[in-house]
Amino acid sequence: MNKLFPTQEVGSLAKPRWRTKGYRGKPLSREEINEAVHWGRKLGIENLEELVKLLSEGDFASEKRALLEWSAKYAIRFFETAGLDIFFDGEQWRSEMYEHVIRKTAGFKFLGYVKSFDYRYFNKAACIDKPKYTKPFYIDEFLFTKENTKRGIKVPFTGAYTLVDWTFNEYYEKKLSEEIRDFRRRKFEAKREFLFDVIKEVIRPEISKLAGAGAKWIQIDEPAATTDPTDEEMKLFVECFNETVKGFDCAFSLHNCYSNYEVLAKCACELRNCSQLSLEFANRDSRQAGTGNERTGYKAMKSFEEHSFEGNYGLGVVDVHTNFVESPELVRDRILHVVKIVGDPSRICVSPDCGLRTRTWEISFRKLKNMVLGAELARKALE
Amino acid sequence: MIGCYVTGVLPRSTELIGKTRAYERRKISKKELEESFEKAVESLIKDQISAGLNYITDGMLRWQDLLRPFTENLKGITVGGLTRWFNNNTFYRKPIITDCIEREKDVVINMTHLEKLPKNLPWKAILPAPYTFVSLSENQYYKDEAEFMFRVAGIINEEIRSLAEAGFSYIQLSDPALVYEPSAPKSKKDKLALVNDVLRTAVRGTPTKTCLQTFFGDFSKILPEALDFPVDHLGIDLYETDFEKLKEYSLEKGVALGLVDSRSSLVEEPSELVAVAREIIESIYRSNIGEVFICPNCDLDFLPWEKAEEKMKALSSATKRLREESL
Repeated sequence: MNKLFPTQEVGSLAKPRWRTKGYRGKPLSREEINEAVHWGRKLGIENLEELVKLLSEGDFASEKRALLEWSAKYAIRFFETAGLDIFFDGEQWRSEMYEHVIRKTAGFKFLGYVKSFDYRYFNKAACIDKPKYTKPFYIDEFLFTKENTKRGIKVPFTGAYTLVDWTFNEYYEKKLSEEIRDFRRRKFEAKREFLFDVIKEVIRPEISKLAGAGAKWIQIDEPAATTDPTDEEMKLFVECFNETVKGFDCAFSLHNCYSNYEVLAKCACELRNCSQLSLEFANRDSRQAGTGNERTGYKAMKSFEEHSFEGNYGLGVVDVHTNFVESPELVRDRILHVVKIVGDPSRICVSPDCGLRTRTWEISFRKLKNMVLGAELARKALE
Repeated sequence: MIGCYVTGVLPRSTELIGKTRAYERRKISKKELEESFEKAVESLIKDQISAGLNYITDGMLRWQDLLRPFTENLKGITVGGLTRWFNNNTFYRKPIITDCIEREKDVVINMTHLEKLPKNLPWKAILPAPYTFVSLSENQYYKDEAEFMFRVAGIINEEIRSLAEAGFSYIQLSDPALVYEPSAPKSKKDKLALVNDVLRTAVRGTPTKTCLQTFFGDFSKILPEALDFPVDHLGIDLYETDFEKLKEYSLEKGVALGLVDSRSSLVEEPSELVAVAREIIESIYRSNIGEVFICPNCDLDFLPWEKAEEKMKALSSATKRLREESL
């Protein structure tokens, strides 16, 4: 991309009620159908009356695929209308970043909900057999997105390290139980074997298909990257990223959020073929515009530079966990502040902190629109 | 004596999870949620009794994290943001210390279902150790960290006294932060000397048995200093501890061997647990065997309830076999 400060999104966007309820085969209320009409008009969706007919008739059982396509089209037009340069389809085809992949892969069994915090839980699977690729999990979604936009496409892809970290490792722990007596070493070796099998058997086959179908940019999502910040684990994480991307003829980036950036920064320069680090900062930053010597949220940027990361940054300038809509001036100043740290403005892509799935479309749209305007202001400021 | 017990928060049942989620979405009343908690506590206590555990806890189902009862009920602390719980995909809320901390009422007892605990079996309660409490807090008030730690120890001491009065005979102090060291430890000797003094304050004059339960890190790294800690038992996470180093030491205190892995859904073979336990016991007790407990390495709430139940059975069956073989 030749333009300075290209704008991108990170992945997920909330799913409209007509998509989630419809997919579960539940009848829709008038209000939910009206919402589809409202956004359809706003985004200039072609053949809107066809969707309204589908939603009103409510025979969704045979139309699941059509619902996925419609909501993906909405998300694509949503990002286009907000003015973004690079995006995907808001992950409208995926239930959730972890379950989507695990459910389509053999060797796993969901055991039920375990605690995340307070009254929040997540559905955790166990690996009970060697993981096996049975069917593609992103390819149809990619092909549809490709057919429906002329702008830049970045495919969000749940990374192997996170899949493994969020899964019980029964198969490999059992497999190594005779071989390795020491519990601690057994667990580590079992994790390692699990990880590299997932990469070889599941992740790389899908990347290969995506690359073959014309994907130019894959974003590896690794929220779990620094969960265990020991040197041994971080070395494993780097090895995992490098093994994942090895030899493919497309660009890769890493998205990691709500993490320990001091730890990530230390090993970022060892990530091979990682053209961009997409990072979250806005949620920790002050809401005052200004580029002064310090912006509290962006301190960690310095660590990445000090540890000689040479790739680009997907710079989080929009907080995805609040309804506060950042002004274009605030976005501009966050960008210009980081330009002062990094030096070369061509290394900055402008981005939200993370996927916007927890915000309403109304809020997400306003946030993204201002992000695009803010990038434009930053461009002008440097002219 | 060889016994067994659990070492932390037990998982909520699928039904209770459903109720807590419904409550969050305002679909059920507080009363209905309370009733579900009561029911779940009853069934957890039954499960512990039928598995043959030697000390019974109330399962700590209401504890949102190890510190929360204190974070929410002590004066001088506000509830902070979500923070990663060591190297897990779970989170706790950081206590923010804004003023001198004061205990105005019983904390743990008010969280505990005393009336549901069995009359004919001994009870165990679990509290955060002062070192872990301080390590996981954001201190905006105390100028001196040691002063803060002694203050926490004083509060823990009052808590233990009131738990003892209510009928608890065993107190576990959970101290994961003491052994969790992702990067190189600093001045270990000074730290452990301070911890020794702090623990002395925490347990002073209390009539219960006490255990310092370490997890998420290598227990052998706090040896030999930990051998002098003023507690009856030392708890060891065997999924993080270097066996060989541990076996170099000779112990006089009792131990709680964390042989069942709460962070794995694979249910252990009792025969393997027996073999490992024997090996460790034979090495660390060269003359008289101390009190030994077989236990999970940490809170079982990393697992769905059904798995936790199977794990309790595995630990109790390993304990029975060890007893029968009577070493």
